[in-house]
Amino acid sequence: MTQSVDAMLQYMIILLDDTSTSFCHYDVNKTVRRLISLDHLRRGIRFAMVENLTIQMVYPDYELPAEYHEAINTIDHSDIVPSALGRDADVIVLDGWDAVPPSDGVAVIRTSLAHLLNHAATVSDWLARLTRLNIVITDLERMSEADCDEYRAFLSQVGTAIERLYVNGRSPQLNTLTDRMMLTAMNNCGAGDTCITLASNGKFYVCPAFYYENEQDFVGDLDTGLDIKNKQLYRLDHAPICRKCDAWQCRRCVWLNRKTTLEVNTPGHEQCVVAHLERNASRELLQRIRRQGTFLPERPDIPEIDYLDPFEAMHNS
Amino acid sequence: MKKLVGQVTPAERDVIQSLFERRNGLNELAKILTADNAELYEKLVTDMGVTGTKFQHWWDTMAQHYGWESAEGGNWEINFDTCEIYLVTP
Amino acid sequence: MMVREVFNEMVLKEQSAPWQGGIAKNITFIVTKDCQLACKYCYLVGKNEKERMSWETAKAAIDYILGHEEDFPEQSVVWDFIGGEPFLEIELIDKICDYLKTEMFRLNHHWFDSYRFSFSTNGINYHTDRVQQFIAKNHSHLSIGITIDGTRQKHDLNRIYKGDGPLERGSYDDVVRNIPLWLEQFPGAGTKVTISSADIPYIRESVLHLYGLGIHEVNINCVFEDVWREGDDRLFEEQLMQLADDIIDGGWYQDYACSFFSEHIGKPLDAELENQNWCGAGKMLAVDAAGMFYPCTRFAAYSLREKRPIVIGNVRDGIDKNKLRPFLTLDRTTQSPAKCLECEVASGCAWCQGENYDAADTPTVYQRSTAICMMHKARVRANNYYWNRLFRKLELEGEREREQWEENKPKSNDTIC
Repeated sequence: MTQSVDAMLQYMIILLDDTSTSFCHYDVNKTVRRLISLDHLRRGIRFAMVENLTIQMVYPDYELPAEYHEAINTIDHSDIVPSALGRDADVIVLDGWDAVPPSDGVAVIRTSLAHLLNHAATVSDWLARLTRLNIVITDLERMSEADCDEYRAFLSQVGTAIERLYVNGRSPQLNTLTDRMMLTAMNNCGAGDTCITLASNGKFYVCPAFYYENEQDFVGDLDTGLDIKNKQLYRLDHAPICRKCDAWQCRRCVWLNRKTTLEVNTPGHEQCVVAHLERNASRELLQRIRRQGTFLPERPDIPEIDYLDPFEAMHNS
Repeated sequence: MKKLVGQVTPAERDVIQSLFERRNGLNELAKILTADNAELYEKLVTDMGVTGTKFQHWWDTMAQHYGWESAEGGNWEINFDTCEIYLVTP
Repeated sequence: MMVREVFNEMVLKEQSAPWQGGIAKNITFIVTKDCQLACKYCYLVGKNEKERMSWETAKAAIDYILGHEEDFPEQSVVWDFIGGEPFLEIELIDKICDYLKTEMFRLNHHWFDSYRFSFSTNGINYHTDRVQQFIAKNHSHLSIGITIDGTRQKHDLNRIYKGDGPLERGSYDDVVRNIPLWLEQFPGAGTKVTISSADIPYIRESVLHLYGLGIHEVNINCVFEDVWREGDDRLFEEQLMQLADDIIDGGWYQDYACSFFSEHIGKPLDAELENQNWCGAGKMLAVDAAGMFYPCTRFAAYSLREKRPIVIGNVRDGIDKNKLRPFLTLDRTTQSPAKCLECEVASGCAWCQGENYDAADTPTVYQRSTAICMMHKARVRANNYYWNRLFRKLELEGEREREQWEENKPKSNDTIC
């Protein structure tokens, strides 16, 4: 997903069930299955067709009835599927560090920072098999100063492995390290701006996290349409810290923003620091790959900066 | 009678303003601090002496440096907002 | 021998901007949510007699704040006491101030060299022995504002005693008797007047009445809440123009100030160069009886009609700096709707972050309320009239008078909360 200042709605996530897998920072706190009604699914798909939206279907860990597959296949879409379901998909959400990721596929691993730090070697191994891996740190808002040093070391270690893969002709993507090298502008989640979520209750939410946090926090439904109040606050140009930032790979999670600062347009310190540790590690990786040969010659180097939190840089200036 | 006799720089003004504030603070603290609190009382008495000396020293140094006009029985005043020095005579 | 003294009074009749404006931290103790009055326009929707700050809470707040000097780098501090009516808790306030003075000195805190104790009071208890003893003890560090709305009729229209049922007993007489004592003790003091829809017909006579009482600075503003009715702007403009005539014809402009008239309002604003936030919420700190910290008192529960309070920490765990980030990055353009950005008379149009939050469509401080729009535009028109008339008068009286007035002109205080 991409997002720019004048972006418009482009994507719709459909949570097919209350127990659909999480592929992002939020936890699925619903344990009872509630499949989206076939009527809601069909109307959601029609809404997407009318609005020209690309759909991402998010699956639970059980097989859907045949008529659901039939409905889903009436539109071009991508599938986000838990690995427990045991089938191919556009994106597989791995159910832990013991999972076996698909060859040449795209996978997501949701993990606490503590677990991640112990699995640099696993990440490196997976990258040798996968086309792309997205790492989602589920507790990054609790990150301490000491954690930062360890995360920096982790990124460096994984960076070494990626450098080796690139030299050997493989070029896997890792959201935290390679995205920033490839990007030319902010590329954030886009929730509430370019992306909207249809939950299994037939209502729209800014993103799945808003649904699981509070079902009453909806922004319209299939009957009345979308109604996002203060929609401008989800846009990059209305985010005073982010609009000047060049950690372009940052997820800029508006749900985490609201959780930590009470405002969807303002990231907390920890989200900024994590994004900048990744940005700086990407800078080092880019330099190291370029020492091995020509790589992305049209792109300038990622500049060196002396802060990890742009808020502090803004404030000090 | 009040007569404008000179002006100091904002940096010089800041020094005397800070001492003025400190002296006022010490004077008002002296109203509530008693010798029972020996340690703090001792600190206060010492500070009042030091601040008073610095205060006088500022006026002596500035008067000499700028050569302000003086008068018997008069006193100088500073306007903190304009940094102007006035000679006030009865 | 020469006696060297310093003074801090204006040589000219110019009222000062807020003390150490821009470089002072404002820390507010909400000592009580009780008040003798039940003013009709009061934004405090949750006043009560139960929530009084305990000494333990006040001490814990002070210990936290003074113990984290690195988090409060501002050169100066204003320790602010509000309520309800703060002087109802004069015993507690006295104890707090004594502790603050002692601790700032004991800790060698940089604020010992630059602090004030500030009060906004209804003035009813001002003359009492306990309040007067406190004033005598702390006089050189005090800033006290008494709120009086104008004539008896105007004042008693809103500022009535609570609990008097349909009788609606006004408080004017109990306040006005303390004005001479207050002005004797604080000759430069100004008063704050709040205008709501029903007050508009009394503006002119009220400002002149306050001047007549010897108050040289009248800081007056329209409430930010959405209370305005159709036609209010026209009435408001007429009142201000009549006031302008009286101030100019009566020569009041030489020595008295009214914040409605300012040379700096009513101009378009540059999106980049004039993009700062108006309100100081977040740069301030407020603590209530429960020991909760807020970015400003307006974010405490008793100030909010619709929204939940914004708590940024407490006296035990300290301040959650993440909660302050939205306030410290707020700018004018990000929170303003298009009509404000395109407004030709934008300068001087104020807002209150708390009211913005309370009135917003979502729980955000990034949606500017524009309920005051038509009143600002009316003010700008009357303001233009005032300056055009005044400058013409001064020109006709000669260049010297104009220059002299420019040099000596009184100023009012644009701080409105």
